[in-house]
Amino acid sequence: MRVAGNSSWRRHLGKINGFSEPEKDPKRPKEMHSDRDSEHVDNSVRKRGDHEKKHRGGESTERRHRDIEHDVKKEGENTRGRRDEDGGNAGRGKESSQDRRRDKESDRQKRIDRYEIEKKYVDDHRENRDRRRDREEHHRDREKETHRDSKKERTKGSDRREDREKREERHRDREQMERENKREKERRRHERSGEGRRDEAGKHHREQRDPQTERERHQNEEDRRDGGQKRHEDRKDSDRRQRDFSDERKHKEERERRHKERRHHDERQGLKGSGEEVRHHGDDRERRDKDRKHRDEKDTERKNQERRGKEEEEAEGKHKHRKHGEEDDAQRKHRERKHKEEEEEEEVKRNHQDGTSAKTSATDNVMEAEEVFSENWRHDVKDKEDTEESLANDEESAEQEYEDDFEDYEDDFEDMDEEEEEEEEPLHPEEDEKKEEISPQRKKEIEAVQRAIEEENERVGTTQIRPRRNREEEEESQKGSTGSELNQRKVSLKGRFMDFVAAKKREVNKQVATKQKKRSTELLRLIDLDFSQTFSLLELQPVNEYDMYIRNFGTANTKQAYVQCNEDNADRDIQTEEVETCEKWTQHPPERNRACGDPNLSQEVQDTARNAINFDSKRLTSFLRSASQVMVVLLEDDRAERNSLRKLKTHADTLSFSDGSLQLNTTLPFLHGRHISLVHFSQVQRHTMMSVHMRMSKAGATLFDSCTVICIWNIWEPSRPQKILVYESEVQCCCFSPGKATLVFAGTSVGSVVLWDLREHASDHYSSIIEGEEWNFRQPTFSTDAVLACSGHSSCVTSVEVLPSSVIGGQRLEVPLLSSEDSSGLSFQLASLDENGVLNFWVVVELSKGDEAGSLTDLGLRPGGKVKLLHSARLQTAESPSPRDAVKTGPIQTMLFKFLPTDSSHFFIGTNMGAVHHRTSHGLKARPKSYRFQEVEVRPVDVSSLHFSPFKPHLFLVGCGDGSVRLHTVGREQPVAQWTNSTAGEPVVSLQWSNTRPSVFCVLDAASNIHIWDLSKNDAEPVFTERVHTDRVTAMAVFGDSSSQTYSGSALAHASGKIVLQYFTGNLSVSSSADEEKLENLMTEAF
Amino acid sequence: MDTSDAYIIRPNHRHKFKPAVVRECIREIVRERLSAAKYDPKEVSEQSRSLADCVRDKVKCAGFDRYKLVVQVVIGEQRGQGVKMMSRCLWDADTDNYAEDVFFNDSLFCVVTVFGIYYY
Repeated sequence: MRVAGNSSWRRHLGKINGFSEPEKDPKRPKEMHSDRDSEHVDNSVRKRGDHEKKHRGGESTERRHRDIEHDVKKEGENTRGRRDEDGGNAGRGKESSQDRRRDKESDRQKRIDRYEIEKKYVDDHRENRDRRRDREEHHRDREKETHRDSKKERTKGSDRREDREKREERHRDREQMERENKREKERRRHERSGEGRRDEAGKHHREQRDPQTERERHQNEEDRRDGGQKRHEDRKDSDRRQRDFSDERKHKEERERRHKERRHHDERQGLKGSGEEVRHHGDDRERRDKDRKHRDEKDTERKNQERRGKEEEEAEGKHKHRKHGEEDDAQRKHRERKHKEEEEEEEVKRNHQDGTSAKTSATDNVMEAEEVFSENWRHDVKDKEDTEESLANDEESAEQEYEDDFEDYEDDFEDMDEEEEEEEEPLHPEEDEKKEEISPQRKKEIEAVQRAIEEENERVGTTQIRPRRNREEEEESQKGSTGSELNQRKVSLKGRFMDFVAAKKREVNKQVATKQKKRSTELLRLIDLDFSQTFSLLELQPVNEYDMYIRNFGTANTKQAYVQCNEDNADRDIQTEEVETCEKWTQHPPERNRACGDPNLSQEVQDTARNAINFDSKRLTSFLRSASQVMVVLLEDDRAERNSLRKLKTHADTLSFSDGSLQLNTTLPFLHGRHISLVHFSQVQRHTMMSVHMRMSKAGATLFDSCTVICIWNIWEPSRPQKILVYESEVQCCCFSPGKATLVFAGTSVGSVVLWDLREHASDHYSSIIEGEEWNFRQPTFSTDAVLACSGHSSCVTSVEVLPSSVIGGQRLEVPLLSSEDSSGLSFQLASLDENGVLNFWVVVELSKGDEAGSLTDLGLRPGGKVKLLHSARLQTAESPSPRDAVKTGPIQTMLFKFLPTDSSHFFIGTNMGAVHHRTSHGLKARPKSYRFQEVEVRPVDVSSLHFSPFKPHLFLVGCGDGSVRLHTVGREQPVAQWTNSTAGEPVVSLQWSNTRPSVFCVLDAASNIHIWDLSKNDAEPVFTERVHTDRVTAMAVFGDSSSQTYSGSALAHASGKIVLQYFTGNLSVSSSADEEKLENLMTEAF
Repeated sequence: MDTSDAYIIRPNHRHKFKPAVVRECIREIVRERLSAAKYDPKEVSEQSRSLADCVRDKVKCAGFDRYKLVVQVVIGEQRGQGVKMMSRCLWDADTDNYAEDVFFNDSLFCVVTVFGIYYY
């Protein structure tokens, strides 16, 4: 249907312009003309929209554009063209036929509209139908009535027609009244919205009712006359032409006003339901006003208005635009036609009569038509689902629906009337096809263009009060062209002129916008938009007040240029002073008498300084050492003196030879319980004594119980020993170094020779606190234990002796007690003899510097030790005895040996054969080879003691195990004197010459008897024989200084461990010239 | 129109927004124009506007094709107050970026931020 409508519309496009020609009739008032003109503009715009639509059928865009341009041109030439075309138009008849066709089209449109509405009220449909049925019944009644009337009239004759007319009129009035009542009810329903205008409309209605009744009356008359259809047709045109203009003008004015009002109303109210409602009310009212008088016109108008309202609401509904345009045209045509009809009343009557007769004939068709409509409606429902669905309309709309239906029936009549015209329709299909070929896309474009035009149109129509929503829409499409748009609007305001260029431009803009929209949607699929992390652009901490102050005022007149602290020595202005360096050294303890030094000083200065220091330091230390020694000795001596004096008084009877005694303090914890095997005095330092305390048989609690302890004593300082030496094994013999007693040598039972350096600092040795006193125990400085096994002794060392230097001879005695002589660099030899007669010579070497880490080569040397022994010679002294002797005595054992004090190359070895062998170290022949008893035969007697006289070096005493004592001279094999029974057969343990008297010697035998011989007084027996019973004497040593001869005595070591110094009485200690004479006498006597 | 379009959704690496380059631009301009400036509330709005324009023009010349540039200039007075400025963007992190530079002198601080948003 729509398609056909479109195409037919197109066919008459040109004629529409022409059709407006009659309006240009000079007879018409100017005002009306202008009104119609403006309306025409509206219409033409709509037409253009419709026109565009026609080109859907497969026409290219170019063509469409051309068409648009064409249209624009046409529009521009509109007024002129209208006149031109006016002339070109065919006859009025043709126009009318075209009008009819248009009517039919409009009817179709109406139907469509109706269906649209109906669709909205699907629920109401049934109700509508019921009502319609009522109406139909009523309709039939009315028709019957008319029929009846006409019959009556026929019977009575035409002369009585006027009476009948009156009657008819009465009938009509009555009918009218009935209808009026119904309508009143409806109106009341609509009152709420209709209000203001209804009064006006009501007035109008009353005004128009009279002509209408008149017309109906004429209609009745026409029925009676039974005017043919053809005739009616012929007259129609003229009728229309003759229609009075005043009436028409009135209608138009009203329409215009209504139109505006409605627009206004729409704007004021909401855009949807309420606006529609208002529109419906208006429609209803209008319909009420007009439905009798000009049914066609009213319908078309109503439809038109309805549609216009809808268009305002939904600009998208294109078909409505089209309809709109069509309807306008149709409306105009109808109006024209009505005017003409009203001009010729009679013919109008006839015409109406035709209509009524047609109605009667069509009554049967009503039902059919209704069915058709409903069917169509159903289709349309499907088609137009997207049309508005307002719920605001309810019964009123339904009512209106009913009316629509009712009126549509009449429209159908017209359709039937105009069926003859439909022969032209077959012309359309071509275009229809074309239209269908248009792609949906193209359609869209066209629609968009139309929409733009529509908006423009509306803007023109409602320039003053433009709806805001439109502006929004426009803004989208306007964009770039707003400037020109404004101008155009002004233009259009003045001349109500459409600017299609602007519309097009807007459309293009819109296209661009849609393109961009599409682009954006497509792109958004490809792109991920995400929130970036929060960027911190600036973070400024608030400055505290102090900083602020400093910044503003603190440095007002100062400027900080540089900061430099010599860390990196940057190139800028180093402000610190040049660093002066000076090398100094220091040493603690001071080395070479210097504690500090400066290498930069000149060598000379250094040397002088050192020398100065050296002298001072050395002298000081030596002085302090000696002075302290002297002080200690004096103090001790003083005490000892007092003690001895007291003792003398108390123990005077103890020893006959004793002038007094001094007991050394041996009650030391580590000496407790030890036997003293040996007591030895230094040859040079006569007051220095050492005592060898044998190790204990069973291991005790104290640390050194298993060791032999050697105590070094100063006899003037008896309270405690000066040094304590320890050694693990048993010490057989020992001796001091020559000169100062700085070294102690010892021979051990395991065949080693050990050496102690008494100068070593005490801190180098082990010290322990025993019973509250600190004691320092010295380990040997050097030991030949196992280190020199190959060259050392393989058996017990029986004697150790220092080789006497030949030069010192008698000067030894003059060696001062506290010598300041430097002992460093001393060099002497040591000889050691073991039981097997092996004599080893050792060179004692003092190192300039001790090695604290210990020596790698001298494994026997203690770390830090400075003195060591170098093995120099080995001598086998034990000659294998003559077979004769060997049978008797067995192997010879060497017991002890002594060097000849004046010649170190001669030495004398005491053996277990009772003889003393004379040997020389360099293989010289020594006479006699040995010194024997006076008896010739060899007796196996141990030589226990051998001692050279300090005054007569060639005389020596030999003590033997059988108790015999012999006096020998070096030059003779036979003894000078021999005392065999002096000790009553007891073995001689020790025998020593006195240091002060040459003729006095002491003998200790094993029975603890002390025999003192004075050869000057008695050369046959000892002068004193003292027997110590209570505490056996185990060892004895004679002391005394020959040079001073102030004291002499013997140190007696008792078995209890105590050492007692017994001073000899004056007659024993003081030498006399008679002593040497006596000795000389003895020698001469013997030889 | 109905052919499927091929979009350039990534900038050429040569034309990609390089914050370092932009920052250098900003730095240069800001140092030049603000180093001797003192904060003046009357001038500062105009100053920031012209600064933004200047930066924009300069960055435009740097040849970031298809980039929309947004320049934000904030100039504030330094009176010992604490300031914290943050920004956050909804963008395509692959293509879009920003560069910022902060300038201080005795009387004011200036934060210039340039956002480069890629036109696909």
